[in-house]
Amino acid sequence: MSLSFKPIQPLLQTGTNAASRWFSYIGLGVGVLLLLCSVQMYINIQQLVGEAKVSSTGYDFISITKKVTNETAGQPEKNAFSEAELADIKGQPFLDGASPLVASQFHIKISGGEILPVSTDFFLESLEDEFIDTVPPSFKWEPGQINIPVIVSSDFFEAYNIFAPGQGLPQMSQETISGLPLIINAEGNGQQGKFIAKISAFSDRVNSILVPKSFLDWANKTFAPDKQFGYSRIFIKTKDANNAELLNYIDKKGFNINKDKTKFGRTKQVIQGIFTGLGVFGLLVVVMALMLFSFYLQLVIARSRDSLQLLLLLGYSPLWLSKNVSKKFIPIYVLIVLSALILTQIMQWAFHRFAMFSREELSTPIHWSVVVIAIALIILSAITNYRLVKKQLQSL
Amino acid sequence: MKLTIQDLLPVYFPESRKQNSEIWGQNLTFESGEMVKIVAPSGSGKTSLMHFLYGIRKDYNGEILYDTLSTRNFTAEDFAVQRKDSVSIVLQDMRLLTEQTVLQNLEIKRQLNPHHSKEKITEMAERLGIGSKLNSLAKTCSYGEQQRVAIIRSLLQPFRFLLLDEPFSHLDNNNSLLAMNLMLEEAKARNAAIIFADLERIEFFPFTKLYHL
Repeated sequence: MSLSFKPIQPLLQTGTNAASRWFSYIGLGVGVLLLLCSVQMYINIQQLVGEAKVSSTGYDFISITKKVTNETAGQPEKNAFSEAELADIKGQPFLDGASPLVASQFHIKISGGEILPVSTDFFLESLEDEFIDTVPPSFKWEPGQINIPVIVSSDFFEAYNIFAPGQGLPQMSQETISGLPLIINAEGNGQQGKFIAKISAFSDRVNSILVPKSFLDWANKTFAPDKQFGYSRIFIKTKDANNAELLNYIDKKGFNINKDKTKFGRTKQVIQGIFTGLGVFGLLVVVMALMLFSFYLQLVIARSRDSLQLLLLLGYSPLWLSKNVSKKFIPIYVLIVLSALILTQIMQWAFHRFAMFSREELSTPIHWSVVVIAIALIILSAITNYRLVKKQLQSL
Repeated sequence: MKLTIQDLLPVYFPESRKQNSEIWGQNLTFESGEMVKIVAPSGSGKTSLMHFLYGIRKDYNGEILYDTLSTRNFTAEDFAVQRKDSVSIVLQDMRLLTEQTVLQNLEIKRQLNPHHSKEKITEMAERLGIGSKLNSLAKTCSYGEQQRVAIIRSLLQPFRFLLLDEPFSHLDNNNSLLAMNLMLEEAKARNAAIIFADLERIEFFPFTKLYHL
């Protein structure tokens, strides 16, 4: 016959001080819920911001510029990046590459010929192909070539279609404008050149009119051999545009960065901070509740002191008693943590369904790590309980 | 099993106590099957001795050995094993679970290491005249009844030594005799020793050794 705890159970005076017991149960439940929800929300944010923002290539490309202030206005060399600054940016560990946008240093006029009777002063830029999102095979130029392939920012094209009707100009589709020859007149250094540009692609990433690097290098040398103002824009390549180190570096150097791309990062930092704080708070509540519960347990043992002492006197093993006394509370712990886990699951379901409209990056079931934490909490509570009871019984 | 005491003296007794005592300060060994009678007037440390032997208290100088092992080095767990299997006691103050019934009190002891069947509990209770009290709360029993419950409780386990600390202090002669006979039978069946400490000599205890504390 195995030793039964059943006749021992009534000897534990648990009935008294029910308020203290319920407070510790509720406290534990709230603490665990806070902790689990915080962890789940933290993971949600990681999944939403961390993974969703990484582009198909796995990298973010962002342009940085120098702030033009009243002091530096009119001094183009002060508003441009020097070679040394470029090297410094390239050397930062959180960046996977940097490339300058080289601007045309000579006078350019562009016109649409007969079909698009509009003529305007313009600028051209070049960038390493690696940093451009859409590089067609035809995006090449060799000296002597009259035709220049051009990559135009989708935003510019969109802007044209918006103002065109007001100017009496035709609105165009991407296909139409791609077939349209644009006449480029370059002038400088006492020389003139005429080229025919054709839009070969549209870029969502680079807000500019890009020509092959070989063309612009040649043209700058030809039409503006003396001018060298450095680089007005630098494109950086990074795995995480929301990296705090990157943001700190940009802030410290006083550069301008695309706020929209990093805004998410700043928001993410704040939200993660909030949930980390909430998680820490939850953990604190758990610790407090466990402490309260341990006081309650000490009270139970103190009240049952005579009976427990007698049991030890009769030959009951202190270890066996400790195990069984603490085991009595395990179902309560399991129930509390399980309830918190179910509530967390409901929260996650509601968050995914109603706040995030079932976005694919998130999952309705809670993350496995939340379940692991819940199990760890049960084990932790059981162990602290057991140790406390054992210590108390040994001191009888 | 042997129970040995070596130069034993409570820390709160002066050394001079050793001179007039046949127990304090002596080296004695008790063995299974022996009937040891210790006559001790009030204040001579009878209950202290029983508590030392049973491991309830450790405020003594000298040594107590269970076989060759000093009980000074015993853990609570070691004592639990001895109390379950080898050493039983009837304490002067009975120590019952007052909110439990007599039967529950006995069953809590019996389940620890069942030497007897449940039926045997009833049989023993009938024999000592408390058969009708089995389902009464212990706190409603008289001291005499409680003492008999404590005696039966001590007999529900296997033991090599049975320690008795004034077990009949609340019993009349007739009931004492009944209880004594039961204990003697049980001890004999186990070839166990009884160490019986009381205020004076009781005629019906067939001691093989007699000591004055």
